[in-house]
Amino acid sequence: MSTERNRYIFWNQQQRYAPYIFIAPFFILFAIFMVYPLISSLIMGFYEMRGFQSRIFVGLGNFTDLFADPIFWKSLLNTTLFALGTLLLQLPIALFLAILLNAKFVKGKNFLRLAFFTPVLVAGVFVAIIFNLIYDQRAGLINNEFLLFGKEIGWLSNERYVMLAVIITGVWQWAGYNMIFFLAGLQGIRQELYEAAAVDGANWWQSFIHITLPSLRPVIAFVVVVSMIGSFQLFDLPYILTNGGEPADAGTTIVMYLYKNGFQFMRLGYAATIGWVLFIIIAIISIIQLKLLGIFREE
Amino acid sequence: MRFPYDADNFPLGKGPMVMLILFLISCLFIFAPADETEKELEFWVFAPTHYEEYQARLPIYKTLQPDINVQLINFGGTMHDKLLTALLSDFGAPDLVEVEINSIGRFLKGDIEEVGFVDLRPRLESEGWLDQLVISRFTPWSYGDKIFGIPHDLHPVVLLYRDDLFKAANVDMTEIETWDDFIIAAKKATRDLDGDGEIDQYAIVLDNKTESDYMNLLLQRGGGFFDAQGNVIIDSEIAIETLEFFTSLFNEHQIATPVYGTWHGDPSNYAAMQDGKILSILAPDWYVGLLQSQVPQMSGKWKAISMPAWETDGRRTTTRGGTMIGITKQCENPELAWELLKFTYFDRASLINRYETTLIIPPLKAAWDAQALKQPLEYLGGQPLGELFIELAPELPPRYQNPYWSEAADLLNDAIFAAVTQKQTPRQALTELAEKIRTTITKDQERWKIKD
Repeated sequence: MSTERNRYIFWNQQQRYAPYIFIAPFFILFAIFMVYPLISSLIMGFYEMRGFQSRIFVGLGNFTDLFADPIFWKSLLNTTLFALGTLLLQLPIALFLAILLNAKFVKGKNFLRLAFFTPVLVAGVFVAIIFNLIYDQRAGLINNEFLLFGKEIGWLSNERYVMLAVIITGVWQWAGYNMIFFLAGLQGIRQELYEAAAVDGANWWQSFIHITLPSLRPVIAFVVVVSMIGSFQLFDLPYILTNGGEPADAGTTIVMYLYKNGFQFMRLGYAATIGWVLFIIIAIISIIQLKLLGIFREE
Repeated sequence: MRFPYDADNFPLGKGPMVMLILFLISCLFIFAPADETEKELEFWVFAPTHYEEYQARLPIYKTLQPDINVQLINFGGTMHDKLLTALLSDFGAPDLVEVEINSIGRFLKGDIEEVGFVDLRPRLESEGWLDQLVISRFTPWSYGDKIFGIPHDLHPVVLLYRDDLFKAANVDMTEIETWDDFIIAAKKATRDLDGDGEIDQYAIVLDNKTESDYMNLLLQRGGGFFDAQGNVIIDSEIAIETLEFFTSLFNEHQIATPVYGTWHGDPSNYAAMQDGKILSILAPDWYVGLLQSQVPQMSGKWKAISMPAWETDGRRTTTRGGTMIGITKQCENPELAWELLKFTYFDRASLINRYETTLIIPPLKAAWDAQALKQPLEYLGGQPLGELFIELAPELPPRYQNPYWSEAADLLNDAIFAAVTQKQTPRQALTELAEKIRTTITKDQERWKIKD
């Protein structure tokens, strides 16, 4: 009798707790690899390492140091430039390509889609190596073949051109990827809307402004927010392209500066502070973008 | 007796049964008792050429020490970050590791007793190795009175020049003794060949974006960023004068061109050399080896002389780059690691082979009389380059190491670029730089004092 009752209790309890046990692995891994490092890095931001074994509490010292650090501001400016390049150059190009590939008169769409999408399949490190050769001052494709401005341009040695070179590379790598999202959005727009507009006498531009763009709003919001987050996390491309941010930190981005402080200078507390400031910057920019694009607006 | 389950009636089916079997087999491997007679040594490197050299030598080591299993791993450029993580977490560091000269500083931060490498000074002294190696070459790997690594190399620097093009400009480079002589010769060789008002041929290529060539000159003069006691001396008169001289080569004398691409080993720089745009370069032994393998078509066009001195009978060389080998404190058997270290770093045959494959001059003096080092080098038109390097080796300047070197080098790059591009005077650039580093060091010391 007692055994039967025990078995009953076991099955009863088992039914109650089994779902939690089944989903536990995710939460345990999430806690170990996400929550713990997050909390740990936040705490670390208030400390500074003293060698490998001990650390010192510095309060807000890392934050005040950071805001007085000219290289941090320069890296923030460089990263913002890249983000603006993404917003004003890369995404319009991606949208243009998507519209082009959605047009009826274009032939070989599948091939072109694949061709434009392919750069994203190449690892950032290889992209940087390829573009290092393209920007090469002596034998590079741009200087050698196109002879822009009639003379050699130090794309990677003149601080004025470095971020431009990084932005152009970013466009090559990511425009095709974002094009796919826009293309999916365009294909979801009902054809009747355009037909109705045409009946009302709307031209191509009016249809684009009043039908295409509003219909693409959720896709644009997604692409803009994700691209901005990616832009502010830029690291491998300029790191290899500019040999660690040279010359004169013209190619240093925030994440690159974080890496340098954490791993090259052994200032882990300062690096954690940069990480949290970057998180706050990304969060603010994302919220502003979502607000501006009306994602929080009730339909 | 029959096993109660087969594949068909196993609870939840065949899939879980296969997973369970795999799990049990994995457990067998994981928890199987290790072979007590075989000892393991893990050895990390970051340079592919070093990996190939040691990999080729390991079978010989196995015959000498059959019970020791050496795990040689090449992590490439990420190795230093992996090592840092392993030392920070106090877990997973190798027994032996090679560290690059610009990366060692970060491992020396904090209390010297907490540095993750074993102090090798007692072993070097008791076995008499210090006298057998070039003593100044220990400075990059020493801090305080401790020696944390053994030098892999010397890396003396020579002036490598285009023999054909200097001859065409009627310049005899073998007569050059001082930098003043070089400037006079360089002005003859720096030329606008097509008359369009732009210089097509520069006497020397120098890196204006990083500290490399400036430090070549500064170390040659006996200066540096830090002195032996760890004081910042980058704003000393000697450092400022050297940067003034360095910038004058670009601006006042217009005999130097900035490096093409990101560094001297950039394909762009090689292309400029082949086009005859660059006539000379300050080259350490490893760079000549690199040129030989990367631009073999220029064989016979180069010659080398000792670096021009700052004054008559002054030092004719400097040092650029380097690697050390160290034993980490996580090593469970430092004695075994020390024996492997000696096998890879102090074995004469191995060091001669190193020169033959990479042109790297070994720091062990006993290897210098080897015939291989005296052989004429075809790439340099038959000049016996090894002899020149060995002649210069005793003159190598010290390069004092410091925990703040990485930060210092990063800021020094910016200061040099600012001075060469005339955004700041050399004095302003270096004074500001020194102040920044001093402030960083003082701030850290004050923070640490609070804790003490």
